[in-house]
Parts: sequence; C-alpha cells; structure tokens
Amino acid sequence: MKALKLYAVGYLVFLYAPILLLPLFAFNDAKVISFPLSGFTTHWFTEMTKIPALYAAFKNSLTIALCAALISTILGIFAARAATRFSFAGKGPIMGLIMLPLVLPDVIVAISLLVVLLQLGIALQTWTVIMGHVLICLPFSIAILNAAFQALDRSLEEAAIDLGETRVSTFRLVILPLVMPGIISSLLIAFTISFDEFIVSYFLTGSSPTLPVYIYGQFRYPAKVPVIMALGTLLVLGSFVLLSIAEYFRRRGIKRRGGQDTGGFL
Amino acid sequence: MTLSAPRPIIALRDVQKYYSDYHALRGITAEIQQGEFFSLLGPSGCGKTTLLRTIAGFEDVSSGTVHIDGKDMDGVPANVRPTNMVFQSYAIFPHLTVAENVGFGLRRAALSRTEKAAEVDAALKMVGLTGYGGRAAHALSGGQRQRVALARALILKPKVLLLDEPLSALDKKMREQMQIELRRLQRQVGITFILVTHDQEEALIMSDRIAVMFEGQIAQLASPQQLYRRPISRQVAEFIGVMNFLPVQVLGENGGRVQLNVAGLGACEITAEQCPSGVQIGAASVGLRPETLTVLFEGEVARGRELLGRVEEVQYFGDMTSYEVSLPDVARPVSISMRNLVGRQVLERGAPARVAWEEGALVLFC
Ligand SMILES: Nc1ncnc2c1ncn2[C@@H]1O[C@H](COP(=O)(O)OP(=O)(O)OP(=O)(O)O)[C@@H](O)[C@H]1O
Ligand SMILES: [Mg+2]
Repeated sequence: MKALKLYAVGYLVFLYAPILLLPLFAFNDAKVISFPLSGFTTHWFTEMTKIPALYAAFKNSLTIALCAALISTILGIFAARAATRFSFAGKGPIMGLIMLPLVLPDVIVAISLLVVLLQLGIALQTWTVIMGHVLICLPFSIAILNAAFQALDRSLEEAAIDLGETRVSTFRLVILPLVMPGIISSLLIAFTISFDEFIVSYFLTGSSPTLPVYIYGQFRYPAKVPVIMALGTLLVLGSFVLLSIAEYFRRRGIKRRGGQDTGGFL
Repeated sequence: MTLSAPRPIIALRDVQKYYSDYHALRGITAEIQQGEFFSLLGPSGCGKTTLLRTIAGFEDVSSGTVHIDGKDMDGVPANVRPTNMVFQSYAIFPHLTVAENVGFGLRRAALSRTEKAAEVDAALKMVGLTGYGGRAAHALSGGQRQRVALARALILKPKVLLLDEPLSALDKKMREQMQIELRRLQRQVGITFILVTHDQEEALIMSDRIAVMFEGQIAQLASPQQLYRRPISRQVAEFIGVMNFLPVQVLGENGGRVQLNVAGLGACEITAEQCPSGVQIGAASVGLRPETLTVLFEGEVARGRELLGRVEEVQYFGDMTSYEVSLPDVARPVSISMRNLVGRQVLERGAPARVAWEEGALVLFC
C-alpha cells in the first residue's frame, strides 16, 4: 500500500515537474534558461503580443482546431451511433480501422498522408492539416461518443417512437439531448488534441504554420526562448481548462442518467 | 337493432417470429376482446416480450398476421399503431420533467398549450401524482416512475395498452398495491390491457383471461378459474400453483362419464368436464390441488372418500399449514394445504393422518 502511494507520487512528479518549469522561466527576468532565477517579470508576456507571426500562427491553429473538432465530432456521432445501435457485416474490422490512428505512430500517419497528397498533386493548405487532424482526433471522439451512446437505454428511443415520434424526431428530442454532454466533451478534447498536435501539422502545413510548428521554429533563436516559455504557460493553462470542462460534462452526462462512472480519459 | 358479434380488438393469426435462426414465436393464434384485461404468462424466455413487441410494432412478424381493431398491421410502423407501451424499465426520459414526460405524446396533437396542460394534469390525477408535474424525472421512486409511465402511455387514449412486467421492479407491498390500482384504472378507462408477467399469482389476480405460453406457443388460453381448475396439461398445471400427480388407468368412457382406476385411491368416476385434454383409454395421470385434499381430525367426517396416510413433513405458515402425506400404494407423498381454523390442531411429523378426497376435484391429463 505504502509502495503504491510512493509510486503514485513519484509518477506525478516525473510527469509534471518539467511542465512546472514552464511558468518558472516564463516569469524569470533573464534571457537564458538556467538556474538560479534572477527575478520576477511579466515582460515576456507583453513581448509575446508584439509578434505578428505568432498571432497569425495562433489564428491558424484556432481555425484548424475548430474545424477538426467539429468534423471529427460529427463523424464520431455517426460512427458511434452505428456501432452501438446497428449490426452490419464487417462491423468489427471497420471499427478497428477507424480506431487504428490511436496506436499508429503519428509520424507514419503524417508521412502516409503527405505521400498521398503529393501523389495526387494537391498543394498543402490549411484544409490538408485539418484532414490530418480529423484522422488523429476521430478515435478519441468515437471513444467518448461510444460511451455516451452506449449508456443510452434503448427503450427510451422506443418509448418516443411508441408515443408517435419518427426516428428523426426521436433523435432530436431524446437521443441528442442525452448524449449532448458526450458531444461537448468530444468537441473539447478533439479541439485540444488538434490545437496541440505537432507532427502531422509539421508535415502537412503549407506556408502558414500552426502554433506548435511556429514554436518549434523559434527554438533556433535563443533570444526567443523566454517568450516561448510564456506562450507555453498559457497553452498548458488553456489545455488544462478545456480538459477540465470536458471531464465535467462527461461526468454530468453520467450523473444525469443516474449511471455509474466507468472511467474516461481523465 | 341487430347485435353484432363483439369484434376482437386484437386478432393474431399464426404469428411466427424468427430471430435469425431462433424460432421465438411458433404459431400464435389468439383473439383479444375490447376492454379485456389480458395477460401473457410464462417462464423466462418463452417469448412473452417478443409477442408484445410484435403487437406494438417493434418487431416484424416472420409470417402470420396481426390485426388491431380490424386493420392489418403489416407494414404499419410502431409510431402510428393505436397501441402504447409501458416498458419494463419504464423508459422515463431523464432529461425531462414529469409533466414533460407525461405530455410527450401530445407534441403532435392539435391542442393549445392550455389544453395540453389540462390533459397532463388529468393524466397525473388519474395515477395519483397530482402536483408532481414539475419534478425532475430522476427524482422519483420506483412506484412513482411506474405511474408516470402509465400516465404517459394512457394520455394518447390508445386502443390497447401493452405492459411488459410493469410491476417486477417494485417491492412486494408496492406490487400488491399497484396490482389493485392497475385493475381499477383499467376498469375506469375501459382500454384493453395486455400484461406480460411471469408471476402466476399476479396474472390470476388481475386478468379476465390469461394465455399461458411455453417455448413460443400458447399452451392454454382461458379465464383464471378455468386455468387453475382445469389446466390442459401437466406443464400448465405445474406452472399455475402446485398440483399432486398420480398415475391412473383410464378404463372406459360412456355418457359423459369416465371410469378410472387411480393409484392409491382406487376406482372412481369423473365427468368429461374434468378431462380438459380429452380422454384416451390406457395409462395417464390425474392431478389434485393441495387444497382439495383434507386432513381430517377427530370427530370429522369425510365429505368424499377417506384414506389413511402418514405425515412426512409439516410446514406451518401461520394462516395455513402445508403437509406432505404419504399414502399407501402411492410412490410420492402428496401435498395437502389446510387453513388453520380455530380449534384445529397442527399434526406432528410421523403422525397418522386421515385424508379425505373427492372425485370432483380430479383433473385427468391424457
Ligand atoms: N433481439 C433478439 N435476437 C435474438 N434472440 C432474441 C432477441 N430477443 C429475444 N430473443 C430470444 O427469444 C426468446 C424469447 O425472448 P423474450 O424476450 O420474448 O422472452 P420473455 O418471455 O419475455 O422472457 P423474460 O420473462 O425473461 O422477459 C429468448 O430465448 C431470447 O433469447
Ligand atoms: Mg420479457
């Protein structure tokens, strides 16, 4: 029992200590990243707002993440609905293929996509990145939405049909409201994944980089590193907030149906 | 004025249902009358729910026809059939209030908002939930959910209300109360109820008629009294209460009288009415319900015939006592249940017992 506790603490330290260094240096009044710390400043945060390229990359990432989240959630709804309600030939292999990017190295996914796009003679644009991100996000969306759809009591649907509603109106009046927490959760998580995604973006970005790709490029210039630290701090904070909201909705969804919590991503 | 024969509200003709290669319904033919309280009774897995869902339109029949109120339901989807259902899990919409749940079916009705509200109030009053309209659906007890499900299904005034084991999730007290209430409600609204249950007592208490199902077939369709007193097979007899079976030789039949030689009881004669499954000369079995046998006490005189046996087992229930009594020339002891009337003693194990029986209580299974 004690060993387990020790292990848990050690694990958390190992996982989060590097991330805690981010805000430390973001507020450190020195151009080089090294101990000892030399003083408190918010200078790097104001500096950050003065870089147009950074702002463009941020806007680019935002667009891509919004689109990727929306598309992967909508596709996820169809897939989860099909997987939980209907049985069809080859259901197992099809679902397996959709979930594959979850375990495939991102580099492989990115390179394959790049090869296909180049072969087809398609120029790298924002939408090619979005496509790649949808591929990465979709397994997560499906996993979340699957759980939401599975928790639905089938007789609820039948009750609505029994009371005169069609399949379509039943979906709108009963199913959608009940899986809404799952949908919101999927949107937020897909958004976060896409926003933070680096490898696929790196390979598929055309002329306008996403934020992670931009950050990677900036590491060549030592003078820019403290600004990146400040930016990183904000990103970690943002991701944390989004994931918390996603988890809140997931739990609320379970509670509202009076179900048992059977785990999730958080 | 001519009296037309009562038209059945539901007519099932040779309904067959296959789930891929599993034969779930094997030729169900039955007619259910308008205003009847009809029960489908049978052990788990016999196809009760499947039959109910076939009537509701949630399952297609593989062959055969379902007519509701004279109309063939082939190709008619569930949402336009004149039936409503109370689901076993109640299927209360968890994101809606009680009033929204009850009024759900009125969404498409051409009624004003106030008219709908009045209907909902009336439905809630009918099931004894006045004032609960604003409650969240998940903040209800099991019994209350059941009432909401009832009100929601009845608000559309269906021709037939289908109930799939609606009381099985309730505790004993609540269940007994709801049995009475359901029956009262059915008489009040005059709608045909079809109740699925695996509880024989519940079916006997509530129903006008009962269809006993085994393995996708109706074994017997009869009134509760008929079912209990004249079961058509040993299987039905054993499913509805307890019955003692004794081997018998059927000797002959003439003028509506059947001559038997029952093991342990001797020669006797019964009426044709006591032979619901027909008469065949040769070996068969007869049944006797435990309450048709009597253990006689000192000074008591048998109404029918008398035997001397021995008490093998005694179970005291308070209001009654159940004996297992071995009889000469009968392989297994017979069950006898006696009411514990004032002054009547309870026999001990091993005591000799005078047992009285009557020819009129015998049921022949050929
Ligand atoms: N969707 C289905 N696919 C395949 N088989 C099914 C399906 N639904 C029911 N069955 C089978 O059909 C048979 C009858 O099922 P049904 O649900 O009608 O039984 P039941 O009499 O209602 O039993 P219970 O009292 O347990 O509810 C069962 O053996 C069941 O396994
Ligand atoms: Mg059932």
